[in-house]
Amino acid sequence: MSQHFDVVVIGAGPAGYVAAIRAAQLGLKTACIDNFIGKDGKPALGGTCLNVGCIPSKALLDSSKQFHNLVHGFKDHGISAQKPAIDVGTMVGRKDRIVKQFTGGIAQLFKANKVTAIAGFGQLQAGRKVIVTTPDGSTSEVTGTNIILAAGSVPIELPGMAFDGEYIVDNAGALDFQDTPKRLGVIGAGVIGLELGSVWKRLGADVTVLEAMDSFLGAADADIAKIARREFDKQGLAIKLGAKVSKAEVKKKAVEVTYTDKEGEQTLVVDRLLVAVGRRAATKGLLAEGTGVQLDERGRVVVDEHCYTGVEGVWAVGDCVRGPMLAHKGSEEGIAVAELIAGLPGHVNLDTIPWVIYTEPEIAWVGKTEKELKDAGIPYRVGTFPFAAIGRAVAMNETAGQVKMLAHAETDRILGVHMVGPVVSELIAECVVAMEFKGSSEDLARIVHAHPTLSEAVHEAALSVDKRAIHKGN
Amino acid sequence: DGPALSPAAQRVASQHGVDPASVSGTGRDGRVIKEDVQRAMSQPAAAA
Repeated sequence: MSQHFDVVVIGAGPAGYVAAIRAAQLGLKTACIDNFIGKDGKPALGGTCLNVGCIPSKALLDSSKQFHNLVHGFKDHGISAQKPAIDVGTMVGRKDRIVKQFTGGIAQLFKANKVTAIAGFGQLQAGRKVIVTTPDGSTSEVTGTNIILAAGSVPIELPGMAFDGEYIVDNAGALDFQDTPKRLGVIGAGVIGLELGSVWKRLGADVTVLEAMDSFLGAADADIAKIARREFDKQGLAIKLGAKVSKAEVKKKAVEVTYTDKEGEQTLVVDRLLVAVGRRAATKGLLAEGTGVQLDERGRVVVDEHCYTGVEGVWAVGDCVRGPMLAHKGSEEGIAVAELIAGLPGHVNLDTIPWVIYTEPEIAWVGKTEKELKDAGIPYRVGTFPFAAIGRAVAMNETAGQVKMLAHAETDRILGVHMVGPVVSELIAECVVAMEFKGSSEDLARIVHAHPTLSEAVHEAALSVDKRAIHKGN
Repeated sequence: DGPALSPAAQRVASQHGVDPASVSGTGRDGRVIKEDVQRAMSQPAAAA
């Protein structure tokens, strides 16, 4: 006899747990199935984001930034310290406590909202039945009037470079080094590679990032990527573009990486190697025969603009479907689907999803890049403003970077905003709101911004679109 | 009360003497945005 629910969610990451809570809020009897096991060997809700992604990486980025400032950043302020030292075990322990606090928090939210959490691996069968297999091999089954697939994603493994958890690691491994590696190799100059590379660089590692593409941060606006690259170079992060890795072998407690660049075959020897070339949908084993749910050529669940699979009552959200692999994108899809199931209008605007990279300086953007506008033949105007002319940034000693705003040449509607600089992860929110309201650059230009704040860089960039920024020549 | 106007729409409407009530808004929740006022200005008034 199987238990029946109005909604059964497979996966308790940011897409799945949010969908489950929203469904429960709307009065639907909801279950959420998840098989992630935390560092303490117990089931842990929150998925990749909470356990081995967003939250733990931000914890280490913050700790490593504090240490880096203590060693290098405080002299201008007149602050000195005797022999600064970092205890990596304590830093990682703090990160683990933060993760535990948040995964436990989701368990409490499930209780408060009466969501039934089921530990185990969920596989969808035909007829909206889910078979749950626990780690000890026992099985049970649940059925749902609606099923939400939120299986997430897993790191891509390169052939011949299997993750061994010690020398060749994925994001999870690089969050758990017990000492600072003397030499760290990173394959992939994407968000994960740059953030985790930065963590260990600040703690003293020699970091080399090998990127197969010839351009740096291809998804970002080219001007912003160029400024970021210059700052990373200054920090000593060695980024090698056009470097195609062919093999990595563990020899004498080190990893020998062979790659080819335009000068030919090269060898890099490192103590630890982080492989961060991308992630793929975690749909292996998710679907039994005969469910009717389709996967695309990249293993993603095929859905329409409403995250509907086309199979009655079956939906899919988050990293296991098309679109950017971002926690907030998955969460919004989860909410939209729960609302659709409850008979409410639900919608996610994929055109206004903000991107953030939490390096130093931070990088953030929303909307179209200048190249995308050029390629599409859309007429636009550009406004830029440097943080070096922002009083608050100078007071903070964080003057690198700029805000760049792109607006339609005729209607003035904001089409994209791109930033590199201090705490731009927070500044981007204002631009997302403006774009959601179909705002123009003049709208932001005519809104009062507090002084002195970093947000004045957004205000001045908006003014600069019309060549009337106050604190620079136009 | 009239329609909700964005700050830039308010400026264009005031400067060019456009009655916001005569403009149909295409912004969120029917809000009149800058380009709506611009469009209303470029179109000849509908015959009464």
